[in-house]
Amino acid sequence: MTALIKLAERFTETRVDDEIVVMRLDNGSFFSLAGTAAAIWRLIDGSRDRAALLSALAAQYEEDPRRLADDVDALLTQLQDARLLERD
Amino acid sequence: MAGTPSQELMESETRVAYGPVPRGLFDPALDELSWQLLGDRFLLRGEGQHFFHYRKGEGITIERGPGADASEEALWLNGSVYSAIASLNGLLPVHASAVAIGGRVFAFTGPAGAGKSTLTAALGARELPMFCDDTLVLDLAEPRSITCLPGHKRLKLREDALEMTGARREEKVSCTVDKFFALPAAGDVGEPLPLGELIFLEEGSETSIAPILGAARFAKVHEPNSATWLFTETQSGTRAERFAHLGRLAQQIPMARFMRPIARDRFGEGVTLMTEYLRQKLAE
Repeated sequence: MTALIKLAERFTETRVDDEIVVMRLDNGSFFSLAGTAAAIWRLIDGSRDRAALLSALAAQYEEDPRRLADDVDALLTQLQDARLLERD
Repeated sequence: MAGTPSQELMESETRVAYGPVPRGLFDPALDELSWQLLGDRFLLRGEGQHFFHYRKGEGITIERGPGADASEEALWLNGSVYSAIASLNGLLPVHASAVAIGGRVFAFTGPAGAGKSTLTAALGARELPMFCDDTLVLDLAEPRSITCLPGHKRLKLREDALEMTGARREEKVSCTVDKFFALPAAGDVGEPLPLGELIFLEEGSETSIAPILGAARFAKVHEPNSATWLFTETQSGTRAERFAHLGRLAQQIPMARFMRPIARDRFGEGVTLMTEYLRQKLAE
């Protein structure tokens, strides 16, 4: 298992309604996460790998995991590129 | 009359004395119609040799030298100087005019000319008292709520706005400003109240009001305007602390967008919709 771990020292976040705003501390740039993206962010808690995250998200949305995989992978890539996430 | 600690602080900090002041807080010295901020000091230069110096705990010192326009003095004092003093003392000035209804403040914000004062005056004719004109000062001392301090400025309107709103005309604002002081039809409110909503005035082809939700609220508080930018300049702290501050504002300030055509013959339609909207807020 390769757990997904947020690099907490590299960002700060705030929640507004059901959405999450994440700021990179190195350059002050923002990510806004709504809907599925916010749910994925919340599910990255250091205990889940990609498959477990996908499974939990699918259960939350009562959706086939295969239909959510592209969204999950796109966000994980984006977060890794921003160096906010690592795979343990 | 005793007010909140923040009101008393502002009353004390905005006391005025006359005397010589520095020509600059740092090099180069100030040009006309500009200002400098350094630590707990603020220096503004109006027309000619008209200087306003503030230092925390010492109040305001004004120097009227050659070329100073005394008729503009109150405008500078109540405008940029007041906003700077509020900011240096931890209060957040927002470029907004507001009415009070149901014990809460509903404030209208937008760039100069967006219609903040005109809408506020028109709502006065619908029996909604004015809370402030042009600058809304927010007291953030209580972490779980935001309190609005009552307005320190008189309502100012252009000639056409006076005709459209039914506000009572008083004297001209100054020699150079093409506006008149005015009395709002429903009077004004003098006590601090919680903030009900911050409503952004925008131009659109149709009249509508819609809530601003989620991260869009964060984007709104992150947009600089002249007053909040001053506040940001006065705040020390890390990038993360400033982010937390903006996050708090985004979480605690309900917001809406008021779209309407900027056309005189559609003005009443917008005022009616806003009146109904605010009266619905009473029931919430």
